[in-house]
Amino acid sequence: MLRPAPDSRLHRALGSEHFAGWAFTLPAVVLIVIFGIMPIVWSAIMSFQANDLTSPPTWVGLANYRALLHDPMFAASVRHTILYTVLFVPISVSGALLVAWALNRKLRGVRFYRLAVFVPVVTSTVATGIIFLWLLDPVFGLVNFFLDKLGLPQQGFLQNPDQALFCIVAMTVWGWLGFDVIIYLAALQGVPQELMEAAEIDGAGKWSSFRNVVLPFLRPATLFLVVWSTISALQLFDEIWVTTRGGPLGSTTVVVVYLYQQAFTNFAGGYGAAIAYVLFLAILVVTIVQLKIGGRRIYGES
Amino acid sequence: MRRILIGIVGLLTLFLAAAALTTGCGSSGGGTSTSPGASPTGVVNITMWHGDEDYAKKADDALVAQFNQTHPNIHVTALYNGGNDFALQKTLTAIAGGKYPDITYIFGSWAANIVKSPKVVTLNDMIASDPSFNWNDFWPAERLAATVNGKIVGVPALVDNLAIVYNKKLFDQAGVAYPTADWTWDDFRAAAKALTDPGKKQFGFGYPADASEDTVWHWEAMLWDYGGDILTPDNKQAAFNSAQGVEALTILGEMATVDKSIYIDTTNQKIQQTFNNDHIGMLVTGPWDLAGFPDVDFGVQVLPANHQTISGPDNWVILNNGQDRVNASWTFIKWFTDAKQQMYYDLQTGALPIRQSQQKQPDFQAYLTKYPGTDLFVANMSNAVKARPTIPQYSKISGYMGTAIVSVLLGKADAKTALDQAAQQTNAALAVPGP
Repeated sequence: MLRPAPDSRLHRALGSEHFAGWAFTLPAVVLIVIFGIMPIVWSAIMSFQANDLTSPPTWVGLANYRALLHDPMFAASVRHTILYTVLFVPISVSGALLVAWALNRKLRGVRFYRLAVFVPVVTSTVATGIIFLWLLDPVFGLVNFFLDKLGLPQQGFLQNPDQALFCIVAMTVWGWLGFDVIIYLAALQGVPQELMEAAEIDGAGKWSSFRNVVLPFLRPATLFLVVWSTISALQLFDEIWVTTRGGPLGSTTVVVVYLYQQAFTNFAGGYGAAIAYVLFLAILVVTIVQLKIGGRRIYGES
Repeated sequence: MRRILIGIVGLLTLFLAAAALTTGCGSSGGGTSTSPGASPTGVVNITMWHGDEDYAKKADDALVAQFNQTHPNIHVTALYNGGNDFALQKTLTAIAGGKYPDITYIFGSWAANIVKSPKVVTLNDMIASDPSFNWNDFWPAERLAATVNGKIVGVPALVDNLAIVYNKKLFDQAGVAYPTADWTWDDFRAAAKALTDPGKKQFGFGYPADASEDTVWHWEAMLWDYGGDILTPDNKQAAFNSAQGVEALTILGEMATVDKSIYIDTTNQKIQQTFNNDHIGMLVTGPWDLAGFPDVDFGVQVLPANHQTISGPDNWVILNNGQDRVNASWTFIKWFTDAKQQMYYDLQTGALPIRQSQQKQPDFQAYLTKYPGTDLFVANMSNAVKARPTIPQYSKISGYMGTAIVSVLLGKADAKTALDQAAQQTNAALAVPGP
């Protein structure tokens, strides 16, 4: 078998590029199927069951989905998620553009600044959560300490139901800005210098040249970051779970937090799976819309 | 030619990968033997999953080694499950995968959920046919927590209760007398107020307010002490919004919003450190927390007024891997939870005795001396006469109660409105048949 006869069917099959390619990638593909695709399919099946993850499940058809439509706590989690997303995405993307623009020059220590901007991205979410918990502690935190020194009133931050979600926005923008900055830095360095000089010669001001020369070049990066940030924001879980756990009084309960509570605290696995699929469909729709609109702007009009 | 060799190597990679995957999947579950019952040498192998680390794990290992030596036809392997917080999920995953241990550690609050698994062995018959096991020797709170609708789902593994743990130095500095057994709840409130000093950022009392079960069970002890109940005796309606319940939550709310004597930790991650750093005068907590206060000279006292407290026992659950292994597991767990063995474990770890008869063991006094404050926690077990309902809806109900308590603590609602709303949600949840 080790050396099949030349020109035999086996010889041709083994020698084909298709076979070699598939054979080498198959182990990785199998892993992805087992740990990625199978849970996705299993979740879909679970969403049509009443499954408490302990005893044999029963089929309930669309009952879980119907229940979601009438669930006020799910509706609240959707509102919190949308509020978080419409704050997080514009702030982090435009903030990253400003920072990248500032760092895209030959400053002294620019390497250090770029490192400093990226460190929060590689810091574990648990570490970030603990740091912010104590920074924002109403009694012992540094932030309230400085507010006091400035004569401003003390805030509840993560312990105030009206402020907690905004604190989470601040915390996650801090944590993820560096990623967007890196993308923008790379895009900025693709802007041809001659165009900038030509604009200057033509008498364009700083803002005008930025708007008309630089921004169009950044459109692909911006589209990518907006799509990516939106997907991440809609799936937010870690940062909330290590700080407020969805509190206080449910003010930071976003969709994935609610899903976790339903599936793993209340043993309603089928219900949790249904929530996961509603979220999946929502993200799919949002992403398609964004790509259609963004794509048209980049490639449609010239 | 080269293409052929690449193709052959690719084929080999496929086979290797397939082999690795099947053996990898096959040997999960950590050493449980695939053969049911006894191996050819007649020894029955059983596995036990526990959540102990450090010196507690050493105590477990020593006991297991001793059992294996004295019982040559049973071999027990004790495995650390990575921490008890996820013991239920891991156990359920193992059961779903078909390879699960014989004995596993399950929080008491999950008893009503795990009983639904077909692999859980109900122990009523084994206990009834073996009087030397002495089921009534376990504390009443433990027996209640291990029983779901009359079915005994586990053997008590751990027991605790809540009492006042106070910082003697802060009491001395404020000139307040230490808590006594004659305290009323008004005395408690007054002491907390006297110990509160905003200038020093010091609070008289600390409360975990993340609306989780931690928030709820602390209040449930107060509810019982005021004479209230969580649910009606038939477990069909909420009872916590009675006059006694409203009183119990009102005093807590006024301490928070009027006296401002409570450090309200809505994240439930800062309270222990804050107490250890001399910024809280009193906590209501259990023996597991004491090791986290190395910098505090603490005292322990029963809860005020009627001293009613709450206990959170956990269970050893036996899973069905065939009759031989179930019998072997019963033999082992009976030996392991015997007074003598448990006294050894408690001496090593400071855990509370799970059997009342342990108080008559020869090394009981040495145990009390070694772990200050434990004597009060042991005596306090007789104050834990009520237990939380062992029904599957309890986690939902706990969520409603937790939200009510936190909204009162944060001054967003008054006790009666908050409890009535939680009661409404509870009754709706209890009206739904099934899980």
